[in-house]
Amino acid sequence: MKIAVFWGCRILTSQYAYEMSTRQVFPKFSVELVDLSETNCCGDPVKSVNDLAANYLAARVLALANKTGLENLLVPCNRCHFVISEAKGLLEKNVKFREKIIGLLNEEGLEYNSKIKIWHVIDFLHDFVGLVKVKKAVLKSLKDLKLATHVGCQIIRYSDLGRVDDAENPQKLDELVSVLGANVVDYAEKLDCCGANLMYSHPDSALSLTGTKLNILQVYGVDGLVVSCPDCGLMFDFKQKDAATTIGAKLNIPVVYYTQLLGLALGIEKEKLGLQLNQSPVDQFLTKIPL
Amino acid sequence: MSLTDLMSMAKPNLESREKILAKLTSKGLVNCFQCIKCTSGCTALKLLELKPHEIVKLVNLGFIDELASSDIIWTCVTCLKCFQRCPQKASPYHVIMALRNLAVEREAKVPEGYLKAVSRILEVGLAEPPAEVVTRKMEIFNRESLKLPNIASPKESFQTAFMKILEEH
Repeated sequence: MKIAVFWGCRILTSQYAYEMSTRQVFPKFSVELVDLSETNCCGDPVKSVNDLAANYLAARVLALANKTGLENLLVPCNRCHFVISEAKGLLEKNVKFREKIIGLLNEEGLEYNSKIKIWHVIDFLHDFVGLVKVKKAVLKSLKDLKLATHVGCQIIRYSDLGRVDDAENPQKLDELVSVLGANVVDYAEKLDCCGANLMYSHPDSALSLTGTKLNILQVYGVDGLVVSCPDCGLMFDFKQKDAATTIGAKLNIPVVYYTQLLGLALGIEKEKLGLQLNQSPVDQFLTKIPL
Repeated sequence: MSLTDLMSMAKPNLESREKILAKLTSKGLVNCFQCIKCTSGCTALKLLELKPHEIVKLVNLGFIDELASSDIIWTCVTCLKCFQRCPQKASPYHVIMALRNLAVEREAKVPEGYLKAVSRILEVGLAEPPAEVVTRKMEIFNRESLKLPNIASPKESFQTAFMKILEEH
């Protein structure tokens, strides 16, 4: 099958490993990713400034996805997934809003058609591809790894919108990690936020949230943390050293994207999965993966 | 001085309250019965003393002008737990976003990052410029050297449309 893909700013401008690994693993399940003809911010930072403008940006992404002629849109970023889902909800329920936004899109020669389903990497692999197929595709079992997952905030809340997994007890990412052979640790702080959205206004508090969660994970003795959002990846992986300085602790937790972990289990070379780009100590983690 | 102390000197402004209500698609906030589920689960409570139930109460009482010029509305991490757990669908998250929008309209103190992001979107479509990344072995990579496709910028018509909508309130 073919699926349109909207990456969002964070993946396209710094979290390259998430993009590389997603581009590698999807074809393994006979899924072809179709990039949009043009791209704009989903509207996330604009929500704080001008909600209507933010929703226009999100609706524009949907209209660009419509232009591909496909009825499924993959949005691998949690924030973009939320912002676009909320705009889609408004387009469906709020007539005044719909007329206004559609008018603006038409001025640009774009059209919106509600027949488009928004997917995230996690629910697409879990619900559409399915755990059985994922398990069958595994070439290298990750049985020597003890891993924690961090699903992030915005793909699981708020439920009225229709989200990727349960808001209080999300299991899909854990299950996707389990079928690769790894042991998944359940922990009380699983739903704690990475803090990314405070980077604009309170960076020290943001890094403190990041560091506190990683510090707790060290107590659990995990081999690594699996994330599925470029903002969480940015905080836990790219900014792990800054987070350590902020909380005054030593942090040494390998952090990988789920698509990187899956790629390793599927036998894809680590450079193709962007594992050279992770800033956290993933080398110690890679030694536990069978050659 | 806490947020509630600040309000002891203030006068409610019901006109401003109407402005906030007009920005919200749901009027659930008026049903808030102060159960404090939002605050007990708030990510920003411990570090930044954000108390979403107080924000909702103050909006209902009409202390909008004070909130719109306060730093407290910029402490929300948008984890959405408050709305998820709210039995009354008051959605402190949406109330805080509406207050931020009002603060921008009034040219109050707004963290620079947000405004920078908006102007960058207006210029190139994306909120951030593509970064070069340094690997653990100190090699430098960018999209091109990683053989990732070029970013497809939006057409010129995008700028006009985005500008037009930004100018509306």
